[in-house]
Amino acid sequence: MSRPFPYTYISCPCADTPVPDPARKRRSRESPQKPPPERDTEANEGQDDAKQSADKDDEEDEDEEQTFDPRSPRSNFSLYPPEQLLYCEDCHQIKCPRCITEEIVSWYCPNCLFETPSSMVRSDGGRCGRNCFNCPVCTAPLAVSTIENVTGNASGQGPWVLSCGYCLWTTLDIGIKFDKPTNIRSQLQKMTDSTTGPAFDARSRQGSRAFGDLKSPLSNFASIDEQANPSERDTEQSTSKEDQTPTPHLGAEARFAALKNFYRTQISETSNSPSDPLSSEFGFSSPGALNRLMSLYASSSRLSGLYGGTKKTKSKPPVMREALTASEGLRIASGDADSALVERIASPDCGWDGVASLSQRTEQSPDVRFVDELLPLPVLLRTKRAKRCKSCKHILVKPETKPQSTRFRIRLIALSYIPLPTLRPLAQSSATSISGLAPAPDLNALSPLRPYHVLLTLKNHMFDPVRITLATPSVTPGIVATKVTVLCPQFEIGANSDVWDEALQNATAPLSDRITGMRGGEKVPEAGKVWEKGRNWTTVVLEVVPGTLPGSQAEDGQAGNTDIAATFQKDEDVLEIPVFVHMEWDAEAQLEQQNVGKASKPDDLVARELAYWMVLGVGRIQAAL
Amino acid sequence: MPPKAAKGEYIETDTGNKISRRSQIHGTQHIILGGKTVIQAEAVIRGDLYRLPSTAASTDPSNPPAQSNAPSVAITVGRYSYISKSAILRPPSRLHRGVHSFYPLKIGDHVFVGESAVIEAASLGNHVHVGAGATLGSMAIIKDFAVVLDGAVVPPGMVVPSWCVVGGQPARIVGEVGEGYGVEGAEGGMARERYRVVGRP
Repeated sequence: MSRPFPYTYISCPCADTPVPDPARKRRSRESPQKPPPERDTEANEGQDDAKQSADKDDEEDEDEEQTFDPRSPRSNFSLYPPEQLLYCEDCHQIKCPRCITEEIVSWYCPNCLFETPSSMVRSDGGRCGRNCFNCPVCTAPLAVSTIENVTGNASGQGPWVLSCGYCLWTTLDIGIKFDKPTNIRSQLQKMTDSTTGPAFDARSRQGSRAFGDLKSPLSNFASIDEQANPSERDTEQSTSKEDQTPTPHLGAEARFAALKNFYRTQISETSNSPSDPLSSEFGFSSPGALNRLMSLYASSSRLSGLYGGTKKTKSKPPVMREALTASEGLRIASGDADSALVERIASPDCGWDGVASLSQRTEQSPDVRFVDELLPLPVLLRTKRAKRCKSCKHILVKPETKPQSTRFRIRLIALSYIPLPTLRPLAQSSATSISGLAPAPDLNALSPLRPYHVLLTLKNHMFDPVRITLATPSVTPGIVATKVTVLCPQFEIGANSDVWDEALQNATAPLSDRITGMRGGEKVPEAGKVWEKGRNWTTVVLEVVPGTLPGSQAEDGQAGNTDIAATFQKDEDVLEIPVFVHMEWDAEAQLEQQNVGKASKPDDLVARELAYWMVLGVGRIQAAL
Repeated sequence: MPPKAAKGEYIETDTGNKISRRSQIHGTQHIILGGKTVIQAEAVIRGDLYRLPSTAASTDPSNPPAQSNAPSVAITVGRYSYISKSAILRPPSRLHRGVHSFYPLKIGDHVFVGESAVIEAASLGNHVHVGAGATLGSMAIIKDFAVVLDGAVVPPGMVVPSWCVVGGQPARIVGEVGEGYGVEGAEGGMARERYRVVGRP
């Protein structure tokens, strides 16, 4: 119940079929082609057909016997606002976000609304490659501005900074200025990566590969340990000393890229075949990789790989070594780094505000601990996605690729097929004598045991008239038992005809309808009669008598009051009415196979039906009368 | 019930705008209402914050009357847009080259502005929903079919793409609305209905 009252949710039928069951699926495929005997029973049962049918035929499926409970935990997964639902024309079924698959149509930056070609997405790290940055402190977008602009000089030149309009953070806080106002991302990358090590691009990859070639990965470890490592330690210490100097970024990304490249070269060099699955990008969990690892460990007892590296015999797979130099991505933690960190945190000039918060650090490289190390974050790209039906793979939604466009090439939303329900409380004319000024009841405080009338309007968006049968359990499920009566459970909604038809119709026939509708305030709800009717919509009245909340009145006659009060949960006082909607209409057979089956008469109409549960959120019941 | 009741709460203009008598509208000559717009009580619309004649024009004093003939537009509001109680519409402003100047505020069709929201955005697209108590910072751009949740603070200069839901302080994109958003009568498409019931007893 995230929406204000009154609201309507529609339950996607997929919640009843958690396990894809071919038998069930076949049945649901057939169900749109209406079997004739079912119709009679459906028509005869008015209000609570579900319960009666449960009594009548026991061999029916279990879920057909039960009425929908909007409070059951399962309902959470099936209830959606009507505008979020799609409709598959092949399955003839409502489709919720759980029964579709998505595929990306285009990537775009939500800030500059430029489309990023999908080939660039990976190299850009899924982030905008232009000037769009988010504030590392508060996530608001950063603006490019000149320092002169802030001080008021009207030059429009000079160093540029990124500044946050929300928390007033600027890149000056971390000592970064830009020379030109364009291509900030690459400028920033140069600044942060240039300190040490290879920038992660193709050149460095080749460099590290060349380095790896120089030292054969299987050259004797002992010599490396003796010669290279001490010197590496020294350089590492010197670089880690540098870490505490003003430019602390060894470039976590660069180091990661170096390590990645190192291991990739290792894999490619030690692999047996050029098509080794490990050398490919995703093959680490493939059976081939597992096989290779097994043989690696099996033969590792003999240190045969030490000298057989260049031969690469199949029986003796070569052994990979670990990264040994800084250029390969090795970094040795210095012992006093932690104490230096602690010291800095404890020092008065850092304090609480100087330490980056956890949420800020999650977006940054893992080494960042302080606010003045936070880097501006390039804006994450967003996607436009096409949606497909999971069961029949037909496209349901396909937006235009341009980020600015709000149009769709294909958009099969449920609202074009199922009637749009809207709920509206009827002004209580019985309570006040002045009919015109009857106040609408306060839906956030419905008094118990007092009848309310709620108008449910169903608006048809199809071009065929629809026959509707509504059914509700006479008492709502849950602790608070509210009596619900649909005064007119069976009615028809007109077709969503042309606007011109409406204009013509309004001039002639249904004018009387309109007039009676206008005087709605004086009308009295009558059982079996439609409240109001328009071109493609019909309004019926629901009579609702809210139940009493447990514990609110001791004399209420509810046995075990205290027990119920103990189990009384949050939002139990929200009045939600499950309504079963059964709609049937005669559609034109537009599918080929149906045309083939029958000799294609011009008037071959296929009777279709669709049934689903919806939940009407009427209001919140007051505790006391 | 008839629209020309002697002293109703709302003034209805020729184009069908329903403007509360208790709203505060400044600089009316700089405001364009597209028709069928509803402005509720205590809403503040600052049409007086229009863009002053640019500095380039002021250096050339030969044609000041030309500018006075065509007053610059401060606020444009589209059809079926709805400004709730105590909302504030304020044209955005920017410090550019040391000069503080106002820019026009454009509001599209079928826009809903919630109670006591403060709008200083550069543009609001069509079918935009701004929740109650939300604040839209200067020069923010809200594209079509976007939703700003109640109490959100959209930072200055932020762009909210179409179909996105933003919320929080500062606002971030927290979700997307469904494809059916904006369908007449459904969520996001209630503007006509909203307009219809305004001013009815």
